[in-house]
Amino acid sequence: MSSPATPGVLAALSPRDADTSADRRAELAEIDASTSGTVLLFFLAGMVWLLIGTVFALLASYKLHAPEFLAGEAWLTFGRIRTAHLNAVIFGFSAEVAVGVMLWLMCRLCRVPLMAQSVINAAALFWNVGLTLGIVGILKGDTTGVEYLEMPKYATPILFVAFALIAVWTIVIFRFRREKHLYVSQWYLLAAVLWFPWLYSTAQILLVLEPARGTVQAAVNWWFGHNVLGLWFTPIGLAAIYYFLPKVIGRPIHSYYLSVLGFWTLALFYNWNGFHHLVGGPFPAWMITISIVASVMMIIPVVSTAINHHFTMVGHFGKLKYSPTLRFIVFGAVSYTVSSLQGVASSVRWFSEVAHFTHHTVAHAHWGMYAFFTMTMFGSMYYILPRITQREWPSERLISIHFWCTALGIILYVAPLSWGGWLQGKAMLDATVPFLDVVKITLPWLKLRTLTGLLLAVGHVAFFVNLVWILARRFGPYRQPEPMILAGVTPATPAGK
Amino acid sequence: MGIISFILIGSSLVFPAVALWALWWAGRHGQLTHADKASLLPFDEQEPVGRMTDVVLNRPKASTAAPGGVAR
Ligand code: HEM
Ligand code: HEM
Repeated sequence: MSSPATPGVLAALSPRDADTSADRRAELAEIDASTSGTVLLFFLAGMVWLLIGTVFALLASYKLHAPEFLAGEAWLTFGRIRTAHLNAVIFGFSAEVAVGVMLWLMCRLCRVPLMAQSVINAAALFWNVGLTLGIVGILKGDTTGVEYLEMPKYATPILFVAFALIAVWTIVIFRFRREKHLYVSQWYLLAAVLWFPWLYSTAQILLVLEPARGTVQAAVNWWFGHNVLGLWFTPIGLAAIYYFLPKVIGRPIHSYYLSVLGFWTLALFYNWNGFHHLVGGPFPAWMITISIVASVMMIIPVVSTAINHHFTMVGHFGKLKYSPTLRFIVFGAVSYTVSSLQGVASSVRWFSEVAHFTHHTVAHAHWGMYAFFTMTMFGSMYYILPRITQREWPSERLISIHFWCTALGIILYVAPLSWGGWLQGKAMLDATVPFLDVVKITLPWLKLRTLTGLLLAVGHVAFFVNLVWILARRFGPYRQPEPMILAGVTPATPAGK
Repeated sequence: MGIISFILIGSSLVFPAVALWALWWAGRHGQLTHADKASLLPFDEQEPVGRMTDVVLNRPKASTAAPGGVAR
């Protein structure tokens, strides 16, 4: 998908061959066109993994209240299906859509077209081959047993190569930027691409190549696991919110200083958070205490980000009526605050005593990874796809179904399960309650989760149909004649309301 | 273990060093001071401040472009 306007591999690597004479900043349409093939590849692959991950999710969820269901085959047992779900949605859906959004944002903010797309397309190919091997390996029973690094040894090097290509290319795009000033989203994106290879290689060295002994393994595992969430997905999600919120409503971010403060305090504190997953574990108390303190300090970036987003939106809530991007992004931004504050509470010792080893943690996981991150990525895709395909979304109804099924679905998933998990934890601490009774206490909450999972699944299918439809309009036999997206349209209410 | 320790100690020194360098670079190049300019970076003459982008749902049927109004 190389467009004539974009430089090739050599030009991309060498300043001499690059179009440096062009002080001119590229037009938005030119940039969007250059990213089109690559970003579509990541979005499509990510969405296919979301559908696969959703099937695994529903099976895993159902099995928790109907354990005899499909229990005859080893590869269909809960342990494997749950892990296949985790890897499909984290490394398939979330990571791939994140890369697509990151590349698009980086090119737009740097004001350069995407260069030598074939390099990134090859990375996408490697990533998906590695992931397919990894997930098939997990279902076969080849898991490493280390959470968030479950994929077997024969898959991970391929993923690493793919990621290294993506990281290097993102930095190359940045190196050739035509806009010298940096926007806060670029800080987050650059940090994410620098952090991830460090985390991944260190964890692979200490857990797979030359495994550390004993409890140190758990410490490294959670330093890595936490940082994948906090230093890879979170910054990309925040980068997207910081771009799309002002962009959609047409108003600059309330306080740029607050956004910079949010970035540097996140960079300072998040890396220390990992051991809060091990509260109560066999570790020196100071190790855990440092993590708890750092977790509480996270209130600074979280609250400053929340204030900033809220005051940016004030006076513009009426625009939610018109923009699907805004709906999903605002939902994601609010969820970032809620899930993070829930996380801060979970890290404190007295809270963890009750909530650890319960469904409360699973609820928090989905509050963060779904209500914040996934919803933010959906919002980003709603903005990016019409621009890179030059076509409008074919069905408003499917957009509404997608939004309401996922928004209601995830609220009804995480809020009751957080409470159910708390009751479970309380009962577990009570020595007079037999363990089977504890299991019974969780049943209604787990059944409700399966129902809400179905609602989420409907939302995912609605979005996928709209996605395939928009692609058919662009590339299929029934092409839409006019790119209507570019026609300015005035909503019924005055702007600003 | 030698080479591994070397890599790990190396990376734990190199990493904060890169972060500090990034902060120093940002300060030197005015990235931390010109907030008014930075906050305008998502906008340009094609899509200026004051103009809503992404109007997809609940649009009035007869859509007409309005100057300075709302795009996309
Ligand atoms: C159809 C929607 C979904 C349903 C019904 C669902 C269900 C589940 C279930 C049953 C588990 C296993 C929990 C356990 O071990 O007790 C799980 C784990 C997990 N899921 Fe999902 N999931 C869904 C979507 C997603 C998505 C889209 C993401 C990420 C973007 C995600 C991220 C995770 C994570 C990180 C875990 C591990 C949580 C932990 O161990 O604490 N899920 N999910
Ligand atoms: C300040 C912010 C946050 C803090 C302090 C925090 C804290 C925590 C703590 C203490 C746990 C472990 C709970 C336990 O096992 O008892 C946890 C688990 C988790 N958190 Fe957060 N959290 C924060 C934000 C987030 C965000 C934004 C996301 C998603 C992007 C997220 C995703 C997860 C996931 C997936 C788990 C489950 C890990 C597992 O056991 O598999 N958290 N968090």
